[in-house]
Order: sequence, then C-alpha cells, then structure tokens
Amino acid sequence: MIETIHLLPGVTLRVCRDTRFKQGCLSVQFVRKMDKQEAALNALLPNVLLRGTRRFPDLQAITERLDELYGAAVGPSVRRSGDYQTTGLYCGFIDDRFAMAGDRIVEPVIGFLKELLLDPAMETGRFLPSFVESEKRNLISTIESERNDKRSYAISQLLRTMSGEDTFGLPRLGDPEQVEAIAPDGLYRHYQKVLRQSPIEIFYVGSAESREVEGMIMPLLRHLDREPEPLPPQTGFHPGKGGDTVETMDVAQGKLCMGFVTPITNRSPEFPAMQVLNTIFGSGMTSKLFLNIREKMSLCYSISSMYYGSKGVAVVTAGIDFDKEELTRREVLNQLQACREGKISDEELAAGKAALISSLRAVHDSPGSIESYYAAAALSGLNYTHENYMAAVERVTLADVRAAARQLTLHITYFLRGESQ
Amino acid sequence: MKSTHYQSLDETVYTGVLENGLTVTVIPRKGFTKKLAYFATNYGSVHTDFSLEGKEYHAPAGVAHFLEHKMFDMPAGRDVSGEFAALGAMTNAFTSYDMTAYYFSCTDHFDQCLKLLLEFVSTPCFTKESVEKEMGIIDQEIGMNEDAPDSVVFENLMQAMYRSHPIRVPILGTSRSIRQITPQILEACHRAFYTPGNMLLCVIGDVDPEAVADMARQVLGTERRTVGVKLRPWREDMTCPAAEASGAMEVAMPMFNLAFKSEPLEDGEAGARREMVADLAAEALFGESSPLYLRLYEDGIIDSSFGGGFETVDGCAMLLCSGDSDNAPAIRKAVLERAEELVREGLPEERFQRMKRSALGRRIRSLDSFDATCFRACAYHFSGFDYFRFPEVYHSIDAQEIRDFLAQVVRPERCSLSVIYPVAKEAAQ
Repeated sequence: MIETIHLLPGVTLRVCRDTRFKQGCLSVQFVRKMDKQEAALNALLPNVLLRGTRRFPDLQAITERLDELYGAAVGPSVRRSGDYQTTGLYCGFIDDRFAMAGDRIVEPVIGFLKELLLDPAMETGRFLPSFVESEKRNLISTIESERNDKRSYAISQLLRTMSGEDTFGLPRLGDPEQVEAIAPDGLYRHYQKVLRQSPIEIFYVGSAESREVEGMIMPLLRHLDREPEPLPPQTGFHPGKGGDTVETMDVAQGKLCMGFVTPITNRSPEFPAMQVLNTIFGSGMTSKLFLNIREKMSLCYSISSMYYGSKGVAVVTAGIDFDKEELTRREVLNQLQACREGKISDEELAAGKAALISSLRAVHDSPGSIESYYAAAALSGLNYTHENYMAAVERVTLADVRAAARQLTLHITYFLRGESQ
Repeated sequence: MKSTHYQSLDETVYTGVLENGLTVTVIPRKGFTKKLAYFATNYGSVHTDFSLEGKEYHAPAGVAHFLEHKMFDMPAGRDVSGEFAALGAMTNAFTSYDMTAYYFSCTDHFDQCLKLLLEFVSTPCFTKESVEKEMGIIDQEIGMNEDAPDSVVFENLMQAMYRSHPIRVPILGTSRSIRQITPQILEACHRAFYTPGNMLLCVIGDVDPEAVADMARQVLGTERRTVGVKLRPWREDMTCPAAEASGAMEVAMPMFNLAFKSEPLEDGEAGARREMVADLAAEALFGESSPLYLRLYEDGIIDSSFGGGFETVDGCAMLLCSGDSDNAPAIRKAVLERAEELVREGLPEERFQRMKRSALGRRIRSLDSFDATCFRACAYHFSGFDYFRFPEVYHSIDAQEIRDFLAQVVRPERCSLSVIYPVAKEAAQ
C-alpha cells in the first residue's frame, strides 16, 4: 500500500496512492539528531521560510497563493521521534476532482513548496532580519505558552527532570534562550547545512500515481548540493539522577505525573505486549486507572498513561486535589502491581488488544493519520509492517503482558500544586 | 430513507424521519474501515428552563453535562464502556451550550455497537448514590477548567457581553450548582429532550443506510413522544453590559478574546447563509490573507496563535477573535477601524472570489474528517439546514453582504474584550 522510492542517496519518497479522499497531503521532513545546540534552529527554520519567498515576498502574498490553490494549507512541521528531530513543512490540499474543470492542484502545490523551501526571501548571505526577529518572538511565545496548559507543562517538567543527559528531556522546540541567540546569518548557514546533509523524508497521500509524484518532486531536489550524512541509530532511554519534584503555582487543581522507564522500545520483540499493557493499565475508559481511580474512588476527572515506544518511557498523569497526591500515587502503583501479578481478566486482555487493532486498522482512513503513522514508524525504527504489527498484537498472551509489566518501573514523580497550602 | 447526491462534493447522503420522529442521516463511505455514529440531542447547557406536559422546570446550571456523565450508567450494573471495549470500539460524549452528543467509533461489529449506543442513551438509570459520586468527578473537571486560561478568558467574555442569556454560565455549571442536581431532575430532562423527535442519529462509514434505520426502529420503538418546550426567558439587546473583563492566571503572556455581538441566527437556510457570510466577513476583516492581519503580525501585536470566526449558540451569535497579545486594546482599535474602512470601500471583487474559493476548499477538505462531518451534520440539522448544501449557498453570496454584515455588527457598542494577564509575582520569588 505504501510505495517507498529512494530518489537520491538519503532522500526517500513514500507514496500512498488512495482515491477515496477529498484531499491529499504532502510532507517534506529534514531529519536531524535531537541536539541541544540546534533544536531551536530547527524549530525556527520553517517559520521563517513561511514568511516569504522571492516571488511571494510576504505573508499576504503567501496566503493569497494558498487561497488560489482552493484553500490549501502549508504549515511548519517540527517533530520529535526518539533521538531525532525533524524540521520541514506539511501541506494539505483538495483533490483535483473538486477543482474547476481542468485545474490541477498537486502540481502547483509542489511547485509552491519548492519555492518556500528553496527560494526564501533573503539578502546577501542571510535571511531577512525582520522575519527572523519576529519569528523568534513568536517561537519564544509558543514555547512559553506551554505553561498555559498545565497538563502538558507538567509532563514536560517531568521528562526534563527524569531524562538527565538523554535527549528525550530536551524541549522539542528548544529553549527560549537558544531562540534568543539566533542571528539571521547563523540561521541561514544552518539552513544550508540542513539542505546539504540531512536525510530527507517526503510523504505523499492522494490520488496521483507514484511515478507522477516522483516526476513532480525531482525538480525540487535537482538544485540541491547534497552531501548526505547518515544518522546514528535510535537508542533506548538513559535515565538521569533527578528525583521526585514538587512545584507550586497559582492553580486550582494539582497535576500528578509519574515517570516510568522500560528497556522495551518499538525496536524490541516485546513492543506489542507493552502496547497492550499500556492500554489495559491506563488508556481509555476501560483501563484499570480510569475504572479504579476515577470511577471507584472519584479522585479525578482525567487520568491516563502514555507509552513513548520510541524511547521506552511511560507517563501516568492525573488531575487531582492537592491533598490526594499520596493516595493517588499509591493506587497507581497498586494497579501496576496487579498487572505484574497477572490480575488481568480475559475480557480486559481481549478488549485491550481489540482497541489497539481497531486503531491500527483505522490508520488508513485519513490522509493525516496515514502520514503521521508511517512517517513516525520509519523514523523511530518500528520493526513491524502495519500488517505484521496487527498480527503480533493478536498473538499477545496474558503471560506476555505480565512480563511487560514487570519491565516497567517507576523512576520519579512530579507534582504541580497550588501555592496556598 | 431518501438518497441525495451532491455532485460538487462527490457525496451521497441518505436521510429519513422515522415513525417515532427520529431523524436518521447516513453518509456511506465505501472502502473505509472506520465507522462513526453520533446520537445527538438538540439540548445543551443553556436549556435549563423548559416545560413538559404542562409543568415548568428550572434545572440547576450544569444539568445537561451532568446528565451526559450519568447516561453511561445502566441498570443491573451493566458497564457500557466495557461492552463497547469488548467489541473493539471506543465510546464517548460531549456537551456544548446547545447540543449533547454520544458517539462511538469502531471498525468491526458495527450493528452491535449501534444497538448499544441507542440502548444506553435511551435508558435513564439514576440513583442517589451514583449522582453523589459523580459530583466528585465533575468537581475535578471544573477544577481543570478553572486552570485552563482559554476557557476562563471565554467565560469571562460571556459574562461581559450578556445580561441574562445562560451562556454567561460555564457548560459544566459550578461546584455549587451541581450540588442541587437530583435523580428526579435528571429524569425530567431526559424525558423532555432525549425523545426521538428531538434527536438525530448520524452515521458515517461503509454501512447500509436501511439497516441503520431498522436498528433505530427496533431499539427505540415507533411511539412518538412529546418533546419538552424550551423556555427562553432571556432578553438581550445588541449592546454589551461591560466593554472589558480581565483576570490573572498562570499564563506566559496575556491572552485575549475579542467579540462583537450579533443578532441570533434564524433557523433554516437564512441562518446558515448568514453564518457563511459572517465567516467570510471574518476572513475579509482579520483572516490570514487580510491586510490587517499582515500589519498586526508584522508589528508583533499578534502572533500565529491569532484566529477567529463566527460563533453561534441558541439565542446568541458573535464575531470573535482570540490569541496571545501584549496589546489587546490595540487589536480592538485596529479591527474597528479596518471594519469601517471595508464598509466604506468594499472588497475588491477578485479578492472576494479568491476568499470564497478558499473557504469552499477548506470545507470540502474537512469532509475527510469523520468527526468534523458528523458534528457539523448534527449542528446544522438542529438549526434546520442540510449541511451538504453549503457549496450552493457559498456560490450565491456576494460581496455586498459582507459589507452589510460588517456595518451592522462590528461596532464599538457591540464589542467586549476579555484579557487574562499573567499573575503578578512577588519581587522575591
């Protein structure tokens, strides 16, 4: 279903030809090592590229062009996948059959992406300082606004504390101080390096044939002066020494985050079992955490666990009263202990597997989910094809889940609480 | 079930009204594995006052949302979520100001899932104990909401803009109001508004439309029952009681909501048309391709968090924009000035056509999302419009309507600005 084409050394095009959708999508990702020194540069780059090209010199010209392309959308795409960070653009556009007779969309969209990526508005040897400065302000404000969402703030504080030297603790968009230090010429030099060295992942979903897409993409690559540098393979998690942390803020509700570590990643044979465990333990309205801590004990409204398979880290979060930290924490561990002892009913096991398989089957039902699933799978080194993965989930036994639970251990907790008490 | 083909959307939609009054809409999508079903009622948090069978009810704020939580309880200790999970399906629900919807998504066992959805939403089961227990959970949800600045900034705005309309009160109610909720009042609300005649069943996916209708007949029966009459005692003129509202929270930088009060929408095509006109007006005024957006962005007064559009709720409507800004009053001033200019000078025809094409394209793209499509089909149905007719409405809109809308709505006396500032820290932290 997905055709993988190696266009040039280090440049991969993945095409999912599908005529069911009303829109297509195209993403271009430059893959970098997640690195403290350049995370902010990679995060800023697409925002500056989206400010103007030689032919479309400002935001208004760019948006007008997108309006002409029947409301196509181009946005920055900065993702983290294990030890890697990607920087690039993501584009969504209507399928040709909805355009006026004879109009084609995908070709001009790719042409426009090429201009955005390769022909930025600039002056000698640097990006326009006014664009860079204003996007720096925006990026800093985006980074700082993470604080507005207390749950995601708490999670990133936990990851930062528990990660030590592991890149998993680095904020995806870099730190405000690093953004502040970026200069227009430095960013331009970095951009040149990114174009020259980085592995490039291009993903297309839509009604065009792969050969056609290849033909439209090649002009984008032809002018690149490439010296590709392969990336080191993904690694498991290297926990730091950080201990339990309490932070106070002016909030009404406490946020408890518990960080767990495991040697099982999505490169491991036990990965499907760990996914099933995570579902049974803390994902959704039938999980042990939801049924016991919310429904039985009424301690919270939201509680869930997430498993980051690219690294082998799991995080449980719960929104609770300030004085319920100890009680909630103990109960979370009790529920994990129950999993370790195999106290999982046949129904729980079957439902956990069915939920995972359903969500995997539904991956193919939207262009966005196809792109994000396969792009992440390729980067994080998932060892299964989509089909094999579902079959492997199907084969998971109670003993496998119990074994996975025994390989999941609490590392530290982080608690965000109010200032008054 | 009657089928209608919408050529410009490459879509065929089946719809029908059953003997019991339920409207059923099915959007077949051949070749997709996911199926999504919404069972929605035309009833939300603002509908606390109603009459049923000659009796008037005045329910506590937050009752619609509380009811949504309690619908998941079934007699004999049946566990709805567990039964869906056993079928590999996922179920959930949400309550808005004027709609409550229950839904599931699945890839297999669609018929069983549909039966279960229809059963649990039509089966009230409220006990004193379970109602009391839910208060603790909803208290935590209220607490979470109080810490969410985007909710608070909007709720403050509603209090500044409206005098009596219940949009002044959060959807969840308050910790105090939910204490007054009893099994009896939940039952009355259920009887009044969870009757087939007040509901819509909307399904999207590779399913058989007739089988969906048959299942609804089988589970809900054919009896047509009385629907509660919503009392709308609120009277609102087109001015705002307060021009500004402000608060302080743990935010990184000031966050604002700026809105202009508009006449509530009529039902049917006229209302849908006005909404699309208003959306285009928002685009012309402060959309990403507008000169105003460009100027404010380049001056650093707004950033990429800025956005806006037209919001409608039963009994109220507003043109709203929001985002992070150090200088929200400057945005208000600029928006008012720019609206005046647009009213005076009009919109170049070329730009207007480009905006329409773009708005249409974006709506067509959003049809790939099952959730967005079901949600819109329900919301438009409850306001008496067939959502899939949007392309023809767009085509018939002209630029003068945009001017008329702006002249009517974007005026100083209709405007309120709500800002959440970062909490002031003591000198020594």
